[in-house]
Amino acid sequence: MSMIGSLQYHFNVNLMGRALLRINRLRNELQSRSPSPREHLGPPLKIAPRMKELVARHWLQGRYANLHDKVAWVTSGAPVELLKALDYYVLYPENHAAICGTARMALEISAEAEKAGYSSDICSYARTDFGTVLSGKTPVGRLPKPDLLLACTNICQTVLAWYRVLAEHFRVPLIIIDTPFVYHEQAPEHALEFVKKQLEDAVPVAEQVAGRSLDMNTFMETSRLSQLASELWMQVMDRNKHTPAPISVIDQFIHMAPVVEMRGDAHTVDFYAALLEEIDARIAQGISAVRNERKRLLWDNLPIWYRLRYLGETLGAHGIALVASTYTNAWGELAQFIDPSRPLESMARVYTYPILNRGTGHKLSTMVDMIQKYQLDGVILHSDRSCKPYSIGQMDQRDRLLREHDMPALLLEADHNDPRAFSQEQVSRHLAAFIEMLEA
Amino acid sequence: MAAVLPIHYPRSLLRAFNVLPIEVWGPPQIDAGLGAAHLQAYVCSIVRNALAFLLSGGLEVTDLIVVPHACDSLQGLGSILIDFIQPRQDVLPLYLPRGNGERHIGYLIDELRAMYERLSKTTQRAPGDDELMASIQREETADEFLAELHQQRGKLTTYDFYRLIRAREYLPAEGFIELAQDILKQQGASRTAGIPIVFSGIVPEPMSLLQSITEAGGEVVADDLACCGRRLYPPGTSKDPFRRMAERLLGVPPDPTLGSPISARLEHLLGMVKKGEAKGVVFYSVKFCEPELFDLPMLRDGLQEAGVPSLTIEVDLSDPLSHQARTRIEAFLEMIA
Ligand code: SF4
Ligand code: SF4
Repeated sequence: MSMIGSLQYHFNVNLMGRALLRINRLRNELQSRSPSPREHLGPPLKIAPRMKELVARHWLQGRYANLHDKVAWVTSGAPVELLKALDYYVLYPENHAAICGTARMALEISAEAEKAGYSSDICSYARTDFGTVLSGKTPVGRLPKPDLLLACTNICQTVLAWYRVLAEHFRVPLIIIDTPFVYHEQAPEHALEFVKKQLEDAVPVAEQVAGRSLDMNTFMETSRLSQLASELWMQVMDRNKHTPAPISVIDQFIHMAPVVEMRGDAHTVDFYAALLEEIDARIAQGISAVRNERKRLLWDNLPIWYRLRYLGETLGAHGIALVASTYTNAWGELAQFIDPSRPLESMARVYTYPILNRGTGHKLSTMVDMIQKYQLDGVILHSDRSCKPYSIGQMDQRDRLLREHDMPALLLEADHNDPRAFSQEQVSRHLAAFIEMLEA
Repeated sequence: MAAVLPIHYPRSLLRAFNVLPIEVWGPPQIDAGLGAAHLQAYVCSIVRNALAFLLSGGLEVTDLIVVPHACDSLQGLGSILIDFIQPRQDVLPLYLPRGNGERHIGYLIDELRAMYERLSKTTQRAPGDDELMASIQREETADEFLAELHQQRGKLTTYDFYRLIRAREYLPAEGFIELAQDILKQQGASRTAGIPIVFSGIVPEPMSLLQSITEAGGEVVADDLACCGRRLYPPGTSKDPFRRMAERLLGVPPDPTLGSPISARLEHLLGMVKKGEAKGVVFYSVKFCEPELFDLPMLRDGLQEAGVPSLTIEVDLSDPLSHQARTRIEAFLEMIA
């Protein structure tokens, strides 16, 4: 990195950027002290401005990262601790796509990919990413170019297809960590061994691109921080065992960003410690996510990013709270497998066992466990047109929930980032019928 | 008998247990309605039809269902079969690694050994290395004939050629070898004078499509189809049967479901175009097939840069060949003639 580049980076990110973001946050905090009352929902989280600042700073760093750091683009289930330990700036195209979705820009950006020939039938996250890559359009200013790509197939095979495209486009090394799908309760030993060996093979490639060697102590420390953040996140979600629930799944969707994209950083741990504190304070003060919570639901699959508020408010108006979700849970449930003293070995297990890399029956039992743990009254399964690995199996899962667990369950057809697959009329109709069923 | 879903699987291992694999690529044009209670409409028709076929009793004759892992949709199908649908037959998933380095081969060897154990339990047999080797050699011979047929495809019309080579999907190797020998013995009518094209995609269904190509004056001179050209397994070398099977399975031409780089696929396509003096490439993809859809823009751009025109057609295996698809093929052939 050139001296001038480095200076430019520090000026833009650490001086100007930070100052502006802090001012912004203070302004937001002032505003949030007297929030406009929400009829059916509890007061917003006080920590929200800090979260926004944290995320904005991450993307601001990204904007100038090519001047200062090596940049890796990775999938959401990638073993990021390794890259963090090598000082990469790590970018998650899926998170970026989600930001585009919440900013309601995903459609316009995906159109750029579709114009270039990408089918509207491929995952809308990938389409959003390609759209940004091809057009530069993004709500975060600018994305840094990757020096390294890392795709881990533990969420889907789609990422394999997606990152192969990125590798051709950027002409940079692509590390694939191939995590054999776990059909039965346990992954076979040879599968775990295969993942471990691939992780070992990834180290020299990542080192070479980074231009430095992996320091074991730093690696162990990033693993420790990653584990801490994941554990705290799990505790935040666990607090929803309390009735009424202090934090809605809608807020979890928003506040999970750091544990996904800044796992392994000390400030992420601080952030979740503070969030947990606030949640405990909310419980102590009797503050709930939904004002008159009467029913509690589980959400399955990705969020519908462009309709978060609609869902929260529509359900909230009936005293229905989204209390837990298999999606947000996925970033907390694996913390137990992380062993900071043996980062590489434990990573093989951690990154083989995400819910998306496990059978449809396992997902059903996870849902059933969550229903009991959080004392839930029903389930909404978002049948996400874009995400086949998450969605296939839902029809049977719904039937079993209804038949074997006497649990009302609704299959809601949509897409996490493509509003064209969301029929407002149909969704309202289905939600209304489901709410009626819950209230009966 | 084993019903086997796409794409790659160890035929020789199954045959060593005296299990005859019958491949299930769809099948086309069946009522997919039965599967609709389990799979959403945005799942590809290969997977939807396969499930519908199973539920309608179409696979009753089989004792085993093998589900190789090629994509998210097959993964999902394997999983719901195991966890929810639980058919009478044993369901055997097989995870194929995405890559063909030593690590991947090593993993596949272990995966095949695990499959051996499962088959052993199901069939109460335990073939030794000699039996495995004999089975491997038989399949290798069949594959050599298959490769030879590809070389001499000009002896048959496009339609007849694909009917012949797709017999490999259900005939035992011995039967296929015999059939191939008969055809290869026939005096070679030289290639018909059709407009040469390369065909890429998953499966050439409905097969009437191939007749339409001939009728429109075209001729498929090479293919990059998942069920055909992407399964030209090279002969093995290792003396260890499991390594040999693994090396062969991963030694195929570039395949997106095995993680081959797009540039390797492009190079392979260009090689086929050059060798067959093809005038264009037809990408014939199954709707919702992500492994194919992701690669298409770059492949088409690359071909275009090399001056090779291409056409994409998307199909749902449940539907008959559409008039529109036929017209587009005709127009494409006219354009490149
Ligand atoms: S949304 Fe689903 S298909 Fe898309 S990248 Fe994520 S896990 Fe894969
Ligand atoms: S057509 Fe594509 S998506 Fe469907 S099973 Fe085959 S590879 Fe998978």
